[in-house]
Amino acid sequence: MEGDVVSDLVRQLVVRIFPVVNRGGGGGGGGEEKNSSSNVVSSNGSSGQPLRKGSGAAAAAAAVVSESIVDRAHRYAMRIIGSRISPSLANDEGAMAEAIKRQLVQENRSSDALTFADLHRRLSLQSGPGSLENRWSLLYLLRAISDDQRRERAETRGTAFPYTSTLSAPAVRGGLPALPENVSRSNNFFSLGEQQTPTAAAAGELHSQQHSQAIEPSSGVLILSKDDGDVRAAAVAEYVEIHQTETEVTEMALVRDIVYACQGIDGKYVKFNKDADGFLIEETLRVPRATRTLVRRLCEVGWLFQRVKNHISESLEDGPLEAIGTVGQAFCAALQEELSDYYRLMAVLEGQVHNPVPFMLTSDGMKSTGSYLSLRRLSVWLAEPLVRMRLMAVLVDDCKTLRGGAMAGAIHMHAQHGDPLVRTFLRRLLRQVCSPLFEMVRRWVLEGEVDDYYGEFFVVAQAVKAELLWREGYQLQTAMLPSFIPEPLAQRILRTGKSINFLRVCCSDQGWAQSAADAVAAAGASASGGSLGYGETEALEALVVEAAGRIDKHLIQIMYNRYRFRDHCLAIKRYLLLGQGDFIQYLMDLVGPELVMPANTLSSFKLSGTLESAVRASNAQYDDSDVLDRLRVRMMPHSDGDRGWDVFSLDYSVRDPLTTLFTEEVMGKYLKIFNFLWRLKRVEHALSATWQTMKPNCAIARLSLNEEGGGQSQLTVVLRRCQTLRNEMNHFVTNLQYYIMFEVLEYSWANFLEEMEEAHDLDELIAAHDKYLGSILEKALLGERSQLLCKTLFALFDLILRFRGLADRLYENAREVQARSDIALREKAKRDAPKARDGQRRLSTAHLSGDFLGSMGEEMDGLAVEYSSLLEGFIAQLPAQQHVDLKFLSFRLDFSEFYTQQHMGMSTSHLRILRNPLKNTRPSWEKKCG
Amino acid sequence: MPREIITLQVGQCGNQIGMEFWKQLCLEHGISKEGILEDFATQGGDRKDVFFYQADDEHYIPRALLIDLEPRVINSIQNSEYRNLYNHENVFVADHGGGAGNNWASGYHQGEQVEEDIMDMIDREADGSDSLEGFVLCHSIAGGTGSGMGSYLLEALNDRYSKKLVQTYSVFPNQMETSDVVVQPYNSLLTLKRLTLNADCVVVLDNTALNRIAVDRLHIPNPTFAQTNSLVSTVMSASTTTLRYPGYMNNDLVGLVASLIPTPRCHFLMTGYTPLTVERQANAIRKTTVLDVMRRLLQAKNIMVSSYARTKEASQAKYISILNIIQGEVDPTQVHKSLQRIRERKLANFIEWGPASIQVALSRKSPYVQTAHRVSGLMLASHTSIRHLFSKCISQYEKLRKKQAFLDNYRKFPMFADNDLSEFDESREIVQNLVDEYKACESADYIKWGMEDRGKAMTSEGNVSGTLDSRVPAL
Repeated sequence: MEGDVVSDLVRQLVVRIFPVVNRGGGGGGGGEEKNSSSNVVSSNGSSGQPLRKGSGAAAAAAAVVSESIVDRAHRYAMRIIGSRISPSLANDEGAMAEAIKRQLVQENRSSDALTFADLHRRLSLQSGPGSLENRWSLLYLLRAISDDQRRERAETRGTAFPYTSTLSAPAVRGGLPALPENVSRSNNFFSLGEQQTPTAAAAGELHSQQHSQAIEPSSGVLILSKDDGDVRAAAVAEYVEIHQTETEVTEMALVRDIVYACQGIDGKYVKFNKDADGFLIEETLRVPRATRTLVRRLCEVGWLFQRVKNHISESLEDGPLEAIGTVGQAFCAALQEELSDYYRLMAVLEGQVHNPVPFMLTSDGMKSTGSYLSLRRLSVWLAEPLVRMRLMAVLVDDCKTLRGGAMAGAIHMHAQHGDPLVRTFLRRLLRQVCSPLFEMVRRWVLEGEVDDYYGEFFVVAQAVKAELLWREGYQLQTAMLPSFIPEPLAQRILRTGKSINFLRVCCSDQGWAQSAADAVAAAGASASGGSLGYGETEALEALVVEAAGRIDKHLIQIMYNRYRFRDHCLAIKRYLLLGQGDFIQYLMDLVGPELVMPANTLSSFKLSGTLESAVRASNAQYDDSDVLDRLRVRMMPHSDGDRGWDVFSLDYSVRDPLTTLFTEEVMGKYLKIFNFLWRLKRVEHALSATWQTMKPNCAIARLSLNEEGGGQSQLTVVLRRCQTLRNEMNHFVTNLQYYIMFEVLEYSWANFLEEMEEAHDLDELIAAHDKYLGSILEKALLGERSQLLCKTLFALFDLILRFRGLADRLYENAREVQARSDIALREKAKRDAPKARDGQRRLSTAHLSGDFLGSMGEEMDGLAVEYSSLLEGFIAQLPAQQHVDLKFLSFRLDFSEFYTQQHMGMSTSHLRILRNPLKNTRPSWEKKCG
Repeated sequence: MPREIITLQVGQCGNQIGMEFWKQLCLEHGISKEGILEDFATQGGDRKDVFFYQADDEHYIPRALLIDLEPRVINSIQNSEYRNLYNHENVFVADHGGGAGNNWASGYHQGEQVEEDIMDMIDREADGSDSLEGFVLCHSIAGGTGSGMGSYLLEALNDRYSKKLVQTYSVFPNQMETSDVVVQPYNSLLTLKRLTLNADCVVVLDNTALNRIAVDRLHIPNPTFAQTNSLVSTVMSASTTTLRYPGYMNNDLVGLVASLIPTPRCHFLMTGYTPLTVERQANAIRKTTVLDVMRRLLQAKNIMVSSYARTKEASQAKYISILNIIQGEVDPTQVHKSLQRIRERKLANFIEWGPASIQVALSRKSPYVQTAHRVSGLMLASHTSIRHLFSKCISQYEKLRKKQAFLDNYRKFPMFADNDLSEFDESREIVQNLVDEYKACESADYIKWGMEDRGKAMTSEGNVSGTLDSRVPAL
């Protein structure tokens, strides 16, 4: 019931809106004159083609059977109302209705306008379940049709040639095709002008792309086209026509040639031109310049393709495998894959060239020159392949000379691109290119194998002796390091594999395999399959870090536990750095007499025996026998005049793999320190021995007390001079030793222990050890920069040793004198009176020691002066040594500020006072004696 | 060649402190009361053979001679748990067992008579050592045996082992309270002479100060000998730690002593120890940084020698040398800082005639002895103020001598026979000389000191020569 009402309303609307007023059953209005004129237009505007039969149908129907047009319009309207299509234009029903009313008023059909308004209102009121949703569409349709009719009428009036009115073409086409049931009927009215063909064809072509379904008559879908689309289609049609007149070669042929060219094959017209280095249309052909350029541009793909293909074939087939390497191969394979994609595209294109789309045929049956693939379309098709091909060509060019990691790095540099297309493409490529590289990394990190036959890996192995394996066996080759692997990571990778090799070769250890397996497990599944790839630097890093952590830990543990690195360090500290004081003391006691001999008379065999007895005598005997076995005597190369002291040295032999830490250079440094400390100890030892000769309970000490007299007094003074000098020297030596012990050895050792704790890998351990050694050398004044100071120090040592000789002589003589006088005394005590005895004894003492004491005193003075000036020089130089903390030493040496005071003006006068009395006493004594 | 040291403990006091000393050493080395090495004591890194010798693999025997003229103390040792520790052949008790009656002359004379027996024992011990470093004598200077016989032994050792070091731990009598030994000033003076002439190093243990420390610092109202002796044994064992736990330095007695004694005569050392505890109150917690330990060691109240100096003299007193032996867990790098602070605050005065410094030896602590304190320190120092102790001895001697009191007991013996008391005079002279030398050390001109004396010595020549005769046979 309601449907009938609506239908009726719509019919009324159609009648009202349509300008052709030949109303069948619906209301009246409009003039006959107009109706007849529209007939003419309709007959012109319709196409005779069966396919296009609906395009002009509305107009024709309106002209011939006025009733039928209204009828059909009504039916269409009803369809629209019933359909769900949504228009592409903004729908404003009110505005549309207003526009129609205005139009009607303009045409002086105010009654129609009023009726329309009424009808529209009634239509709008049809709400509820059966409401009309597409009212606007309906209005739009009706208005469009009526507009068409109206315009065509006007045009016919102006000019008879409708072709100029390109604008109307879509309108014609956009008219009302017959609805399926009307097909047979409407066919009768098709009679279209021949001249319209190109337009229709062009328009149809465009149309077919967009709405190929609409082409089918049975589809029954209304084809709406926008006005601007109509304009473009018309322009294209025009262009095609112009184009055709200028072209000698058909576009299709060109397209085919280009497709060939894109595969590097010369076509009929398009050939490779060597001079221009590209594919060109032959010069002789008459082809528009634009086409020529276009062709040339399109053929760039072909040119690039050739380059890439050549590279691949050169690399894979001709080149030696070494020159390309696995990475190069992977690169070629990746390129090949890309190319096969490209081939696939080409195949598709070629297929399309050969199979022109059927509806391309024009209405008159002539074959269309425009195939499905036009040049332009081809350029669209080829746009992306071109970018890719270009990239590939660039890569090929860039990587021609590169290999391995360097190649991957170069490609990676290209991948740093803002264009996502480029980036994803290169990523894909890199993934393949890098896979051999990552496999190498994986094997290296997990198995320690350099799986690199063609020198592509950034780790290079060198055949070296086992002890050099760590330091020199493997190097990082920066040229082969792809830039996406950062340097620290590369170092880590290097070290991990190195650790494995070190464990395998030097430590004969298999435990690392477990560590490696653990590492794989811990790093996660991504790493386990060996599917590490480019772009997963984090996964790589995770794997490497994991593997490195475990393997380094394992290695460090092996070093500590199996090879007892810490114990050996401690042993070296105890023996070479004299930490085991009692042992050193015995050694000094035992070996001292030997070492006074000329160096070339020494037998190192005998010395080794001495060493052994020193070990047995001291607490060293409780040390590990392994440690003790390594301790041996070493004679330095000696020259003429060298004494045993100059060449004697202790050595600690370390075996693999610890030689990696204790290299010969390192051991050389240790020996240097040992020599210094040994000298220092010797000096201390000498001073200690001197003290023992002059020790308090010695008879000679009593001598000075008991025998009061000129000679004795002089002796007292000389002895005291000797004692204080010894004290000064002893002070210097002991404080130097304290400094060496606290500020140098212990301090460095404590730091070393700390760093040892923190060392996670062998490199860090080596660094810590080197630092330890370096700090000892520096602080013990053995460094490069303290050579002068060290020289002074050694001069001081020599002086002290000279002093020891002097003191020994002094005391020996003094003791002799005393012994003699004692004997004399005892003998005389038996027979003589006490008084005579005393005088005689004094005389004899004086007689025996007078000259001797004098010369002794002078010598002692000379020594003291020399010592003072040397020491002063030494102390003065200390603050100048800015590189080490020698303030500790100067602080100790001058703890009681003795030297500071001496230095402050006192020094010279002080020394003079000290020396003068001795010189004065001699004459006075001689006087007495004489 | 472990640089062995043979300990001679002479007299009642000597044996008592010696006993304590060995107890302490046994504890520290993990040696049981029977001399057997304890099972746990295998990894000490210590050197036992300086003071012990091995009878067999596990049996350690002290290199000690127990000498007394009366059996009481030695019997108590031999009845104690430690009876099996000592070598019984090394025990000497006079046959008559009557002691020396607190008479130096008696002790000296008896020493002379048993010299052969004792020297045989010493020789045997010395032969048993690879490289004998020296002897340590424990005795008191006030009684009869320790002082008299000790004196004789000093001379004998000096004669026979002139190249060996002789160190003594000499207990000086408590001069604050009246002693039951009235002749103690005589004994002291006579012994002091030998300590001056025949010892290389005398560690002065002043009973006055030990008592003061026990009363003031340990809050023991009436300290027993055992309590003061435990202080002594602590000092003795601490002063030998560097010998027993070898390190980079100070591994032998000579080295240790050589840097402490610059001139031979000034070889009297005083000691300080911190933290001071006796067994019963080991729980006192103290700050134990190196600086604290070193600072406390310089405080007079911790020093085991009384200072009889008057204020003015005290300010003049100077350190000739200092050695701090610090035991325990010490960060070596702290030492320097502590020294710096001490110097900044001028906590110690040093002699002006030569360089001097505080030497610091770090030593391990025995792993077998649990103490409440982490760090402990011993100071060995040569300080000029010690002369006041000797001056006191002289003045007390002179008081008695003026009265000619108690001399009869001495005249009974050969040295003083025929009323020849020149030994007293000579001893006094020598001790006075010692005092003077210490005094001279306080001045910057010490080096010239002998020179000034020359003129005076020339004039007094006659006097001295007169006293020489009697001395000769004694040598």
